[in-house]
Amino acid sequence: MTGLSSIGVYLPRPRLERSKIASAWGSRQPAGERTVANYDEDALTMAVEAAHRCLEDHEALTFDGLFFASTSSPYREKQVASVIATACDLPRAILTADFAGSVRAGLAALTAAVRAVESGSARRILVVASDCRPAPAESALEAIFGDGAVAVVVDAKARLCKFVGAAAVAEEFTFQWRTDTGDSVQVQDARFSISHGYLRDLGEVVERVMNEHGVGADQVAALAVASPDDKAAAQLARAVGIDAKTRLVPSLIPQVGVLGTPDPLLLLASALERAKAGDRIVVGAFGEGAEAVLFEAAAGAGPSACRPSIEKAIARRAPLPSYERYLKYRRILGEDETPVELISNVLEARELQQDVRLYGTRCGSCGMVQYPQARVCLACLKREALEPVKLGKNGRIFTFTVDHLAANLEHPMGMVVIDLEGGGRVYVQTTDCTPEDVQIGAEMTLTFRRLHAGGENYNYFWKARPA
Amino acid sequence: MSSIRDKVAVIGVGCTKFGELYDMTYEDQVCDAAFQAYADANVDPSEIDAAYVGTYLPHAQGGKAGISLADPLRLYDRPVTRVENFCATGTDAFRNACLAVASGQHDIVLVVGSEKLKDRPGRGIPRIGHQILGKGNTAPGLFALAANRYMHEFKVGRETLAKVAVKNHWNGARNQLAHFQMEITEEQVLKAPMIATPFGLFDCCPTTDGGAAAIVCRADIASRFRDDYVLVKGAALAVATGRPYFDPTFDYVGFRSTQAAAKKAYEQADLSPSDIDFAEVHDCFTWTEISNIEDLGFCEKGKAPGLVEEGRTRVDGDIPINPSGGLKSFGHPIGASGVRMIYECVQQLRGNCGERQVKDAEIGLAHNVGGPGAVSCVVILGQR
Repeated sequence: MTGLSSIGVYLPRPRLERSKIASAWGSRQPAGERTVANYDEDALTMAVEAAHRCLEDHEALTFDGLFFASTSSPYREKQVASVIATACDLPRAILTADFAGSVRAGLAALTAAVRAVESGSARRILVVASDCRPAPAESALEAIFGDGAVAVVVDAKARLCKFVGAAAVAEEFTFQWRTDTGDSVQVQDARFSISHGYLRDLGEVVERVMNEHGVGADQVAALAVASPDDKAAAQLARAVGIDAKTRLVPSLIPQVGVLGTPDPLLLLASALERAKAGDRIVVGAFGEGAEAVLFEAAAGAGPSACRPSIEKAIARRAPLPSYERYLKYRRILGEDETPVELISNVLEARELQQDVRLYGTRCGSCGMVQYPQARVCLACLKREALEPVKLGKNGRIFTFTVDHLAANLEHPMGMVVIDLEGGGRVYVQTTDCTPEDVQIGAEMTLTFRRLHAGGENYNYFWKARPA
Repeated sequence: MSSIRDKVAVIGVGCTKFGELYDMTYEDQVCDAAFQAYADANVDPSEIDAAYVGTYLPHAQGGKAGISLADPLRLYDRPVTRVENFCATGTDAFRNACLAVASGQHDIVLVVGSEKLKDRPGRGIPRIGHQILGKGNTAPGLFALAANRYMHEFKVGRETLAKVAVKNHWNGARNQLAHFQMEITEEQVLKAPMIATPFGLFDCCPTTDGGAAAIVCRADIASRFRDDYVLVKGAALAVATGRPYFDPTFDYVGFRSTQAAAKKAYEQADLSPSDIDFAEVHDCFTWTEISNIEDLGFCEKGKAPGLVEEGRTRVDGDIPINPSGGLKSFGHPIGASGVRMIYECVQQLRGNCGERQVKDAEIGLAHNVGGPGAVSCVVILGQR
């Protein structure tokens, strides 16, 4: 048996009300709001956040694979799966791969992980789909898109649901794309693309996977299909004979938006939150063809299926004060921070354990945990007994400042000294909070963020956000 | 181990106007300060045996290596050493000059501190350090970490900090060389734009250009140059971690480097804090002055806010602090500041300070702290 044992959901905190987009452009926009990756977030950092939620259920050492799916990886060349694996402190000896190209990559990565575990070539794989898709300003995509990430653990325990079967078709069909030099997603006539692309291809694979496993339309408890807009999924349900009112997993577009590669996983998560053991769930994704997967809910399904619940993930929100702020976050308008020099890969390699895996030093002689890694113990001044130790991610603010002078894209910026649970003191920037949140004693969690850019490269490091 | 006490004399000092010296180069500042000191000491440049130059931030025009002093002064064929030790650069250059004389190697030594902070784009001082760890720190932000913790521990408000700024501006308004020569009100301080909480604009010292110089010599030959020379009673430096924010044991309510340097300097001088008639302390930010008062032993930890509230640190108080106007009002060209403090101490001990003259000033103390808390230097000077 192979299936999903854990789901981590990450939605960035900033939200943009679509009415703000409408008033900026004098256009009509759908109701609700979309998630917006913070200025220091991208598909990589959101993936690390989602992946860490799964690590609350599973020891990092038990993984032997990590697949990353995204159409908006911060790198065209450089594998992001291995960066995520390192930031999650997964073992070195694991299989990693980036899945890209279309929003179908999220489900494709999940299917590949299932096949690998099913075949016995891997024991436990972390699959992370994450997107922060660039939309042209004043386009319809700008309002409908959202940003976020979903991570799932695939293993033989199949605590949440077990894999039953999958079906796929592949065929050239130009609907949404971004060229190698393009800086935003383009879209062809949506009406034709949905009727002759989305409905045709996705309908075909959904019906095929049901037929191949003898599941009638009335036996499907939930249809979790990604949708390019707020209507297409319901059209698809009708086309395959599934009752859209009762069986279609409700769209998250009103509160979240179209995420891209994470969508099928997020809808599956939503279905599992409402499911009971034995329920059949069909998950679907499209993009130059389509793919559908049939799952059967297991004992772990139910309201606590996800970390956190989708409702809670949606509730952690902070509305952006303006549309312009969104443009600034995406570096479309406004002043970016002064770029830094390219950081030497010698330094990066030497400090990888310390800076990315977040290890400090523990003194075997006196027990003090210290960061960054020490050469001589700060407390007992001994050199012999120092050993690397992984730091905790949670702690309390010992002291702080809210700095209006620091070179940063967002002003003012909190800088905090945090005493971590399990020992060690770190000094980091704050994010995802207001100046009022930055107080002595406040509980914070470390989060992997884009620290700065320079020399045509991005640098990532840990910041603190409210726990 | 013998003490440096009374072995070295200060026979001449010089100081440029501090401020935005857009018409002056680094070399101009070195020259003006040094030639003032030559004249003040009645020393011919050929008599200088060695020199020390303090500059924190090397500049295209100077500040790197001994030549940044030797070239403008044409002071060749003798040792010239550049000193850099964060904000303690100036006092540490002075301390090294004193050690050179006390060791018997040199009879007459020149010290110059010079800094051009305004000849560069951007605000504040540039951040130098690890590109990832601690990224986002600024000078005010680093001291603010300590200020916020201190204010939390001892229940101190921004109003108390503001009184430090008001007092130092009052002194600076009576100092012809100070960067800011205007009085300010507590309300102005509290309403100023925020820089890094709890510091508003008027809680911060400015970025300033300036140069200062001092000439020291063997105490036993000092009377050849002038009768009212000043004696070095103690000069001590102490270093602590440059990354206090990573030290889980650090309480963030004071600086051990200042406490250690002060202890050593008092020992050398065979004096106690109560013997000090006035002090020029490192008030880079208003809170720093409060912490310094305690770290230098003028009162117990947590008690300095009371001294400030009661006005005891004013020129007419019993513990006058920064009668010059301090870094806050005099300005803070980093490498020059410590030497400027020596200049001020000497003028006070000579009784030259007019309205801001400390009454019966016989023993003065100069103190720098940088890092924050990474390095402190304390110099004690007394009338002969």
